[in-house]
Amino acid sequence: MTAGAGQVVGQADGEWRAWRQRLVAGVRLLRLELRRSAMVWMLPVTGALFWYNAFRESMAEPAMWNLRAMTMQHGVLLDFAPPVVGAAAWMGSRDGRRQLTDLIGTVPRPRWTAQLATWAAVTCWALVAYCCCVGVLYGLTARQASWGGPLWWPAVVGAAGIPALAAVGFAAGAWFPSRFTVPIVTVGAFFALGFSSQPRAPQWRVSPTVSGAPSIGPDAGIGTFYHYLPDLSIAQVICVVGVAVAALGALGLLDRASGSWLRPIASSMTAVGLAAVVLAAGLAGTARLDPHGMLVIPALHDAANDRPIGYTPICAHAVIPICLNPAYAAYLPECKRALAPVLAEVAGLPGLPVRMSQGAPVYFGPLNSGFAPSGAGVVIADGSSDGSRQTTLVLPDQLPGEPSGADITVNQFIGQIRLPVAADLIKIMVGVAPGAVRVGAVPGAGRISAASGGGSPAQRAVAAALAIDAGATGAPRANTAVGLAADRFAALPAAVRHAWLATHLTALRAGRITLAQLP
Amino acid sequence: MTARTIITVPADARPDAGSALRLVRLHLESRRVTAALVTVVACALTLRIALRWSWDTYGALQLPLILESGCAAAIGITTGSPFGEPERATGKWLPLLRLGSAITMTATAVIAFAVATLGADLAGGIADVVRNVVGLVGIALLCAALLGGGLAWTGPVVYMIVGAYGLYTDWHPPAITSPWIWPARPPLDLGAALCAATVFAAGIAAVTWRGARESA
Repeated sequence: MTAGAGQVVGQADGEWRAWRQRLVAGVRLLRLELRRSAMVWMLPVTGALFWYNAFRESMAEPAMWNLRAMTMQHGVLLDFAPPVVGAAAWMGSRDGRRQLTDLIGTVPRPRWTAQLATWAAVTCWALVAYCCCVGVLYGLTARQASWGGPLWWPAVVGAAGIPALAAVGFAAGAWFPSRFTVPIVTVGAFFALGFSSQPRAPQWRVSPTVSGAPSIGPDAGIGTFYHYLPDLSIAQVICVVGVAVAALGALGLLDRASGSWLRPIASSMTAVGLAAVVLAAGLAGTARLDPHGMLVIPALHDAANDRPIGYTPICAHAVIPICLNPAYAAYLPECKRALAPVLAEVAGLPGLPVRMSQGAPVYFGPLNSGFAPSGAGVVIADGSSDGSRQTTLVLPDQLPGEPSGADITVNQFIGQIRLPVAADLIKIMVGVAPGAVRVGAVPGAGRISAASGGGSPAQRAVAAALAIDAGATGAPRANTAVGLAADRFAALPAAVRHAWLATHLTALRAGRITLAQLP
Repeated sequence: MTARTIITVPADARPDAGSALRLVRLHLESRRVTAALVTVVACALTLRIALRWSWDTYGALQLPLILESGCAAAIGITTGSPFGEPERATGKWLPLLRLGSAITMTATAVIAFAVATLGADLAGGIADVVRNVVGLVGIALLCAALLGGGLAWTGPVVYMIVGAYGLYTDWHPPAITSPWIWPARPPLDLGAALCAATVFAAGIAAVTWRGARESA
């Protein structure tokens, strides 16, 4: 009995020693490959390309986590692809280029094991470079951003893409060990990544360079008011892991000298990897745009992520407090400047909202084109339904300093805020919105315009006059009775107009004032 | 010495036409020009096929640049010699052969792209192709002279990203306007054309005079 137990212990000890020796040998092999990896020489190139492209582009965005992380995800793999794929293909074709394949094929350890160590070394160096690059970008953003924390999913997608790039390059180099293989597979990988980020069939959203709905891209309103949805990122990670597994499996198929046990494993890996890619593409094809600007994949969606993010607003004290999400703290002075003339018109009048808060933009429209965020307008939820008489302000989707397309100036930004807010405030106060202020109106917002015949003529005239005086619109057509009355009312001294409104606003709102009764 | 006679070749002797053709053929074969030509034709065909799909503005402009970079990398690789020092010591016509093969390959790439894009809507047109191919080949040749034929691809591939981002900044300011990033400039921009031509001339001169570095 004792001897038997001793035998069992001895056998287990022997197995452990064998495993330990294999582990030590594997670590030694990896260390050797780490020292000799071509990726080491590519590290400065990788850093320079990241700085030139993804870093500069991301840092040019306002200091908001969502904008910078999503911009980074779009560019980072395009920067890493050529050096990583090139180095991996170079290392993969090393034995073939130097005519060492037969010599190395005679060693007892499977060739696949040694090749995996070489691939792992390239991947390790590339991941070190990736972590450093993304770390610098996130570190600087952490110092500059006024609120929020890092978005990890875009970084995870990029990190998962690195082993896949290395595996594709390595497998191509090992299969076709020619010096032409390296540039062909490098340019091919860049071409494929660039091609996949073009607006195409919905399944192409699985490309790791796509950081959101293709027609929206990085937008300030995404992930600020509601949680950043990881649905698409999960599908992308499944896809790139599948690519890596398939490529490494294909590498194993190359090793014909290692016995019959290797080929089934390698074939299974290739099949599983390809199945994962197909699955991920299929999942991405089911994505739909949610009202918060992100892509929902029903099979991967967690309803807990639909909750709004809690935050303590940051407020500027004007006639009424103007409060924004703290992520937009840098834009509070512009908001105050934009709203001061409007609020001066309605200060002290009955029915004035007690506070103006920022609301989340609503995104709608098809996924690939024609999207229109509600950011250009103002959504009035209900001026008084909850008893707080809170007006909701939605900032324009283009922010000053954001280098995407429109390149909006501060004055344009102020104008875009003032126009819809004036319309909404005047509607709350007078009962009708000035007809001219309909730019960027959101379907379903329930505005009533003078042009549509809503409200009494006196209400429309006062609304137009207030809008003119607040600098929110030009003068209405003076050849109509309403236009003449609006001109006359707008020409009054501000104090007189304000006093008249304080006295007659309730009657005006009820439709009991005629045009002739306007001063 | 077992040879009965020693034939002395005059220093200014010129090969006859048959020998010259054979020399050119052997030189091109030793540089794997066939594989490079296949790569060039494959890139041109890929461009032709890709132009049938729809691309956004960035994609339409960046697509030719990517494939031109592939061609340039292949041309740079053909500068690598498998013979090394013996060829250098005895190859009297070697500089001329290098010069001729580099220029011929560049011209072939331009013609391949021109033929492949006939009747297609190519952003930038053929002027853009000529400038980009010439400049990228110049970079590849310089890389070959500095790093070796096997690593000549590094320059065009890195420059591909530089150029692609330069094109991107045309819509996303601040724009990169240096003529040294010629893919981002208009097709007929003189400064960009001069920069590309300068790089090509430098690359041709380096490869003609020194050949590709032999360590790689």
